[in-house]
Amino acid sequence: MRHSLAFFMAVATGWMLSQPVAAADSSADTANDTALLEQMAKLASDDAALRKQVLFDLAKSGDSRLEAFLENYRSGSVYLWNGQIVVCTETEEDEDFNELAPLTHPLTGEPVLGEDGNQAKPDILDLEDMSPDRAGRLAARSALFLLKLSSPDRESRLVAVKKSGTPPYNAESIPFLTDMAENDPDEKIQFTARESLLLIRLGTDVPLGQAQERWAAAGQLAGMKSLRALPVLEELLRDGGFSKHGQAAREQCENAVASINSHQSFVNWVGYVFQGLSLGSILIIMALGLAITFGLMGVINMAHGELMMVGAFTTYVIQQLFVNHLPEGLFNWYYVVALPSAFLAAAFVGWLIELAVVRHLYRRPLESLLATWGVSILLIQSARLIFGDNIGVNSPTWLVGSAEVMQDVNLPYNRLFIITLCALCVAMIYTLINRTKLGLRMRATMQNRDMADSLGVNTRRIDSYTFAFGSGLAGLAGYALTLIGGVTPDMGQNYIVESFLVVVTGGVGELLGVICSGLGLGVATKVIEPMQFGDFTVEAIWAKVFVLACVVAFIQFKPAGLFPPKGRLADV
Amino acid sequence: MNTTELIAEYREFSPRINRIGARDFLLFVEDLTAVFDGFKAVDIGAWGVKRNELRVVIGPNGAGKTTLCDLVSGKTRPTTGTVFFEGDDITNELEADIALRGIGRKFQTPRVYDSLTTFENMELALPGSRKVRRFFGRSASSAENEKIVQILERVRLKDDRHTEAKHLSHGQRQWLAISMLILSSPKLLLVDEPAAGLTDLETELTAELLLELKDEHTVIVIEHDMDFVRQLDSKVTVLNEGRILAEGDINELTANEEVIEAYLGR
Amino acid sequence: MFRDKPNHVRCVWALFLFGLIGIPALYFSGTISIDTVNMLGRYLAFAIAAIGLDLIWGYCGVLSLCQALFFALGGYAMGMYLAHHGGPEGIVDKDGWKLPACLFVVYPYEVGEAPGDAMVPWFWKPFFSLPLTVLLGMALPGVVAAVIGYFGFRSRVRGVYFAILTQAITVAGWLVFCMNNMKLCGTNGLTRFNTIAGFELSSHGVKFGLYLLTLVCLIGVFCFCRFLVSTRLGRVLVAVRDDETNLRFFGYKPYMFKMFVFALAAALGGLGGMLYTPQMGIITPEYMTAKWSILFVIWVAVGGRGTLSGAVLGALGVNLVYNFLTTSWPEAWPFVQGLLFVGVVLLFPKGIAGLLDLIRFKRLAKRNVEA
Repeated sequence: MRHSLAFFMAVATGWMLSQPVAAADSSADTANDTALLEQMAKLASDDAALRKQVLFDLAKSGDSRLEAFLENYRSGSVYLWNGQIVVCTETEEDEDFNELAPLTHPLTGEPVLGEDGNQAKPDILDLEDMSPDRAGRLAARSALFLLKLSSPDRESRLVAVKKSGTPPYNAESIPFLTDMAENDPDEKIQFTARESLLLIRLGTDVPLGQAQERWAAAGQLAGMKSLRALPVLEELLRDGGFSKHGQAAREQCENAVASINSHQSFVNWVGYVFQGLSLGSILIIMALGLAITFGLMGVINMAHGELMMVGAFTTYVIQQLFVNHLPEGLFNWYYVVALPSAFLAAAFVGWLIELAVVRHLYRRPLESLLATWGVSILLIQSARLIFGDNIGVNSPTWLVGSAEVMQDVNLPYNRLFIITLCALCVAMIYTLINRTKLGLRMRATMQNRDMADSLGVNTRRIDSYTFAFGSGLAGLAGYALTLIGGVTPDMGQNYIVESFLVVVTGGVGELLGVICSGLGLGVATKVIEPMQFGDFTVEAIWAKVFVLACVVAFIQFKPAGLFPPKGRLADV
Repeated sequence: MNTTELIAEYREFSPRINRIGARDFLLFVEDLTAVFDGFKAVDIGAWGVKRNELRVVIGPNGAGKTTLCDLVSGKTRPTTGTVFFEGDDITNELEADIALRGIGRKFQTPRVYDSLTTFENMELALPGSRKVRRFFGRSASSAENEKIVQILERVRLKDDRHTEAKHLSHGQRQWLAISMLILSSPKLLLVDEPAAGLTDLETELTAELLLELKDEHTVIVIEHDMDFVRQLDSKVTVLNEGRILAEGDINELTANEEVIEAYLGR
Repeated sequence: MFRDKPNHVRCVWALFLFGLIGIPALYFSGTISIDTVNMLGRYLAFAIAAIGLDLIWGYCGVLSLCQALFFALGGYAMGMYLAHHGGPEGIVDKDGWKLPACLFVVYPYEVGEAPGDAMVPWFWKPFFSLPLTVLLGMALPGVVAAVIGYFGFRSRVRGVYFAILTQAITVAGWLVFCMNNMKLCGTNGLTRFNTIAGFELSSHGVKFGLYLLTLVCLIGVFCFCRFLVSTRLGRVLVAVRDDETNLRFFGYKPYMFKMFVFALAAALGGLGGMLYTPQMGIITPEYMTAKWSILFVIWVAVGGRGTLSGAVLGALGVNLVYNFLTTSWPEAWPFVQGLLFVGVVLLFPKGIAGLLDLIRFKRLAKRNVEA
């Protein structure tokens, strides 16, 4: 429905589109349209009060096509032609310098057909002008606003309700809001409408004697924990003339500010922690792959960040395939297809790296660092030559927007998705390593290669599987990152050091350690960022530096991480 | 001698704990335990070694012999308990400080520096060579030089003194490690399995070396080669599952039912 | 005549012959331009820092990814000196200090401050004098390294962990230096240099002089380090590298040695940076990025770790190839670079110096057989 509405709007503003979808919908609404057109015809009346009433009646219908009509009406582009309401936005001249008016339908925006079957283009002088006067224009503007309040679409209604609570207030909207506060099907909108009503009451100056209700609104808003009331109240209190309202009013307002402020800071904290969790999740997905290649295999894979980049670019390629070769309706599915693709592509590249380079470097961790750094340079330059420097990945529509889990606490879907993905990855790795035969062989190989070899485990194959698996996880991290960050060939460089820190802090080869330290580092960074010490706000960079310093200090006390290996193995 | 008696004796002799009496016990451990992940590797109530004693510690695999060495030399921190050396509590000191107090150690596998020559290896162990100005000289003084050559001659490494250690045989490496220990001249030598992997002839020479040391040093030898232990002919402590099982003459012990059981299994 | 001499002797002679005689001869005969000499001078500065890294990595076995940070610290020290004596733009602050031109452009005014209120920050002031700059340019990285080393080595952070730790510190440094309100000119870096000790930096003579100075410093540093590793200290360092645990039981404290060498390496890095900045004409936080910290390691690895001549060979060789390729075929350089690193690690773990040794060894063996 939303799509077809969008089409109509586009059509009404003059785009000549003849989609079968649009035609089908317009025929379904024919009866409704006739009623609307009848109403519109009354706008030609001489009675100003009637015209105003008509405009409000039209607004109540909530038909978004009326938006364009009201705009046209306001700018004087609506005419009466043979008793029919028509719209003409721009005139043309013929050879004889006659001003001709190509006519369009007031609702659909389609051309009005003349007798010859082409768009009717009568002389402008043959049209009856319906241009409103000043009062009419104002009424049309109000109607335009009220139209949005009545919109069937929840989002636009919500925006309009919110807007009605900010000055300059629209007196006509009050009955609408009162009605919506009770009867709107959506609870959020009911709430917002009540809030807007109170805001209007609070913000409207009334004679001194009758101000009781006005200041009571402050208390009610505080009870609703209305964040929107905060700037209004603060503005009032800052105003030098406020003292004339008396001490009681001031106290009421100040109490309201205090109570809303505490709600605000709660909301902020939830937000920071949530951002931290989502950053931590990305770090965890990255670090899980590293924990496998570095923790279990003893290889420092500096190309891990580039494997992440491979995952992100795979997502991009899948998106382009969907955009270019599949019908538009399927677009949202690209992100589902990209999940396994990103994993497999990164795993494949990782498998190649293992085969060509890493295989020769087990037990030489420092040298693996250098060689894989070389690999990462190769990968970055390849991506740059193939794809260029900056490409865009669009989130699928089902990950746009956010869930309001509590009043004013909005959790974006894309970040929720990342956290979920991270949880799934952890579960998958745990199962793979601890519950499957392959996992058992992996652990055996990592702990004692020679022993595993002599027990008939094909350690060569296990090595390459393990490395490919770790690389695939990096691919998943890249896949997830496309939701929140730019995709560039060198995107991996931004995350590689932090991921290593997560692994080091967590303790090598410990799943639980990686999770704890990943979440810890992520949340710490995001929570420290907005902190204030006197005049000094921490900000992103200092938060990063501070967390780095903490990790350095932490390694002092626990050189082997949160969960160090113990006993005889510890010294090896 | 049971634990209480031993502690009583030590307290009497230890100058720090009870400021009278001779400093008879060079090394003494009290209530020493080391726990790894719930597994008690060492659990000793009281145990000590007197001056100029050669003590052999034997025990089956996993008895805690090497861990005991680690605890004494500071490589591992004990979970509980105290280590006294010459009456001083050294439990929480750094390895290097313990070494400077005069506890020297040879590891089970000979740890020598492969990329240095035999002579350079010995040079590292020279006593008193930790002072800053000594690091910028080119080599040892002539007296030190002589001493090094003398020790190397004794272990038949003199001709190989300019060979890099990586070219030495296993036995030669064992001897080089022991020579370095002797050169550093500690008060207490912890020698972990000096005879491991040596031929009979080499073992004999090693035993001779250790017996010679007995005159001036206190030596703890960890071993499980019984023939070698017999050659040393000294007091023996038997460890099993981290505890002291028995102590005494080798011949006594080989007749001891408990010891036989520990070695052969139940 | 040098065929059978050890690498380090050949290295010094090569530097003498090519650097002190060959290059000046080519320059004065007009075969190479002053820009080429200037470029060589910069690469020689890299070589000084690379020697420092080789000392800590090759001889002490500690992989430090901090060398770029120390190099940049030295570079910034000299940069501040040069900026003090740089372009005329800017103002004179209330205390009568001339605000350096590059700082003037990006001065982070606080709310309520007018452009006239800018002050020269206190930490800029010591770098007005050249001797103090030279001292601080080496001492600062040295002290930073000693602190990092003290904490890191004392708690026995080793190998890979130390590498990652130093990498993290480098990243932290980069973040801090990128910030505008640190009053270090943010990502713009220090620039608008004019004179050094009263000489015009743009004149050919000064450029040539800086080249010679760098070369002399390099030869001096090389010989000093060569001496250092040939003393008993050098052997203790090798022992620290090969088995630090065992050394403790002989009464050594390995962390002291590591700390000393780490600080020395940092000071050499600072020296390299100080010589680099006037020849480059700019110093930016770019030199503290992860990329640079690994580049230093790569030069040493390519040249041959644990042989000081390898560090010099690597720094000069890789950069010359870089210079050649970026002018003739820029897209290819990353590929060549990547393949070079992979290839060196896989095929020549001992680097160019190891390869040269091998060739010499084979020739000697052949001669012996013939004789």
